[in-house]
Amino acid sequence: MTQITRRNFLKVSAAGTATAILTGCGGERWVELVPYVVAPEEQLAGVPTYFASTCRQCPAGCGILVKIMNGRAVKIEGNPEHPVNRGRLCARGQAGLQLLYNPDRVPGAVEQSERGSRRYTPIAWNEAINRLYEGLNEAGSRVAIWLGTTTSGHLVDLFTLFADAIGAQPPVRYDLYAGYNGYNVLETASEGLLGTAALPAYDLANADVIFSFGADYLGTWLNATGYGVGFGQFRAQPYGKRGVFVQFEPRMSNSGASADRWVPVRPGDEALVAQALVRLIADEGVGPAERVEAARAAAADVDLEAAAASCHLTVAELAALARTFAEAQRPVALPGAALAGRDNALAAVAAVQTLNLIAGTIGQPGGLLPAQALGDAGLRPAVTSSYGDAQALVARMQAGEIDVLLVHGANPVYEMPPESGIVEALANVQTVVSFNPLVDETAVYADLILPDRVYLEGWGYEVVTPALGGLPVVSSQQPVVGPLHDVRATGDVLLTVARGLAGAAQALPWEDEVAFLRERITALPVGAFGGEGPDLQWARFQQFGGWWPAQAPQAELPDVEVGGVAPVAAPQYQGDEGEFPYHLHLFMNPLLGDGRGASMPWLQGSPDPMTTISWQTWVELNPVTADELGIQTGDVVRVTSPFGTVEAPAYVYPAIRPDTIALPLGQGHTDSGRYARDRGANPVRLLGGEPGDNGANLMWSNVRVKIERTGEQKSLARFETTVEEAADAHPPI
Amino acid sequence: MAEHKWTMIVDLDKCTGCQACVVACHAENNVPIASETEVVRGRGLHWIRIERYWEGEFPNVKAKFLPVFCQQCGSAPCEPVCPTYASYHSEQENLNIQVYNRCVGTRYCGNNCPYKVRYFNYRAPEFDAPLEQQLNPDVTVRGAGVMEKCTFCIQRIRRAAETANAEGRPIADGEVQPACVQACPSDALIFGDKYDPESRVARMTPHNRQFKLLEHLGTEPAVYYLKGGETHVGD
Repeated sequence: MTQITRRNFLKVSAAGTATAILTGCGGERWVELVPYVVAPEEQLAGVPTYFASTCRQCPAGCGILVKIMNGRAVKIEGNPEHPVNRGRLCARGQAGLQLLYNPDRVPGAVEQSERGSRRYTPIAWNEAINRLYEGLNEAGSRVAIWLGTTTSGHLVDLFTLFADAIGAQPPVRYDLYAGYNGYNVLETASEGLLGTAALPAYDLANADVIFSFGADYLGTWLNATGYGVGFGQFRAQPYGKRGVFVQFEPRMSNSGASADRWVPVRPGDEALVAQALVRLIADEGVGPAERVEAARAAAADVDLEAAAASCHLTVAELAALARTFAEAQRPVALPGAALAGRDNALAAVAAVQTLNLIAGTIGQPGGLLPAQALGDAGLRPAVTSSYGDAQALVARMQAGEIDVLLVHGANPVYEMPPESGIVEALANVQTVVSFNPLVDETAVYADLILPDRVYLEGWGYEVVTPALGGLPVVSSQQPVVGPLHDVRATGDVLLTVARGLAGAAQALPWEDEVAFLRERITALPVGAFGGEGPDLQWARFQQFGGWWPAQAPQAELPDVEVGGVAPVAAPQYQGDEGEFPYHLHLFMNPLLGDGRGASMPWLQGSPDPMTTISWQTWVELNPVTADELGIQTGDVVRVTSPFGTVEAPAYVYPAIRPDTIALPLGQGHTDSGRYARDRGANPVRLLGGEPGDNGANLMWSNVRVKIERTGEQKSLARFETTVEEAADAHPPI
Repeated sequence: MAEHKWTMIVDLDKCTGCQACVVACHAENNVPIASETEVVRGRGLHWIRIERYWEGEFPNVKAKFLPVFCQQCGSAPCEPVCPTYASYHSEQENLNIQVYNRCVGTRYCGNNCPYKVRYFNYRAPEFDAPLEQQLNPDVTVRGAGVMEKCTFCIQRIRRAAETANAEGRPIADGEVQPACVQACPSDALIFGDKYDPESRVARMTPHNRQFKLLEHLGTEPAVYYLKGGETHVGD
């Protein structure tokens, strides 16, 4: 697509020629510019054109329509046809324009002769690709690939083929979004339950009772926009039924704020409470007979008094909740991020999934939906690596086993705890190549930055199964504007270097990434939008924003049964209770997410839903705790864990347990552009480096901390006013 | 007699406080982002904001969200106080209009607005290049010293009206969607023409959960809020 700016247009008109030849942005090829005297078919002055694509601000894979006026992308909207988000779009999705037009994008290939110097020398793409090729050629199989969850599915597939061809280990697909939310744990749990390693999906629209164990499904968990659509339907059911939503979590998230009942469970006791609910359904015999029977088969020996006490409830109140769940038509239970963030993660997730088994709604409306097959096209959802896999790669780098590291879509230096040794390990890698569009914390340690096109400029696909309504979806990503800078698609760069590498040339025979995409997509069966023949099928794929069948295919449900009593080990905490008296709770807000929102001013400057704070990091503590410690809102406090320290102003938060301290993720960047840099603190510094639960997951929800005043003050950039402040400003009439 | 009565319904039972509407509004209406310092000074601006109220004490604490934006009053306190007629009532759309190039920044309208939804540009907006390319060409970028506020995305209303007029038909219900309504995942915001008896907003009102903000002031807002938070019957 040719980018025609008004200025270029005027230049051309002024030249008085009907056509003119100008060089493209980077001089890599000639571009023919035709003035609007002969307007492009789809371009009318003042009339927007819409292109369908896929959002890449989180891993959910929502369908978007991008509004283009005169070659500029001016608005991103949800794609109404798309089964993942049904035309809706979250705050981060809206802000995608600020990734495209970010003033701090790397404008072309650059090298850094001294790592960490932040002095970059532009180099020609041919030279850059040659250097990458030489590095890979010398390294042989001593190559590692680190991808993120927002790396396009087609790049994951290409890199996987590449790694296999050169004999390297498969790419690690890990970032903080996946680590915090425990995606790998959820996938492993799904594999155990349903037979397929895919992220679980829940049909909230048709549920009538939701028990969420810390799942911030209206904020950042799995597919927040899709679940938001489901939540709207959950609240407006036929005959005025409104649904009952109970949230168990130590600190009220914005999902918790929408709950009918918010239960402040002690961090670590979520699984205990889930087991207590099973026990109560079994003991009290509430609900249909088959549920009681299933509960009896699965009920573990639980200390009901302890479970209720850790929720600030009586056993009778907990029993009433068990009754609500058991007597509902279509109850559903969600295993949230905090469950996956500790040493007993898998067992804890399984304990919550047991509630879904007892409900008997797996594969039914309102229940846990199974993944759907996509035909023989070789397409499947990209699975995430565990924190343990990422840590293992760091160890191999540390041991000098890796000569070339390729990083795309992840920012390990920011996202991994310093205790993991990531920075030291990078020093042992000969060549580090970043494909990220901004100079992020990891790119500072890179020798080469070969910026990929951002998602509004580039090609791709994302396999989502199941989406809303149980449909399998291959979402389409296509360029909606011409590249703003002299950047090259990473897929093309990879295919180019592969041509010269023994083994890789045969495994990656495609001329460019579009040929690869086309081959994959045209192998799909005919979808909802028809299209006979590969040309039409490929065109429809782009036009409608993806492929999905007209109707959800009948899924083959694996034989799922309550598998008897599964004990959950008592949670182990990191840090001595005497020295570190408080539980640490980390959360993502729906704006900054895992930190990649920090480079976009719309997301920095919009208020956090619960505290209304923008631009900053803060530390939340209960009013009682704050009183005991003599801390007031705005006092800068030092939070110390056994692994690290962060400082940030305190915010007295009424909806958090007195024994818990909470911090938002997302700030504390040292790089990543002018809007992110030197702002707030990164609470990942408080976490340990060792993976938990048999070496699988990031242990973030079982860390203990202490908190103390530093004596300094900082004004919080918040939009709220208190009644007292408002009374000062506007005396009552 | 105005032809339309553009009306918004905010279902507080569905609002999850997710801020999708807030960012969508910034994108659609070229609303500048206030820096950290400006927010600390109380000069942050959003045409739509989500107010969060606490009720009760731990552990029985509840948070409630209330999206607040220009209520497009039928009897608007901001209109009669404007010395330059920058703030006036449109006959055609039945909206409170703000004419930016008439505004001289007396801020009387902002003082008189009981909902505090008018925002003053304390400084000229800055967009670090190439961020200016994100600007919506259908909407003015306001300079320093000018009041601004939610317009119900009047540019979208006008575009739909022109399209419908060209095709010789009335505007269909759902054809106009302000950016906030379009983004809202949970369908908490519903928009339409109350004078069209078949429209969704006309069919939904009067509603058994309905109320208006500061109704007793007699401002006749065009925004209906539906009470949330408790089990109700009928919808």
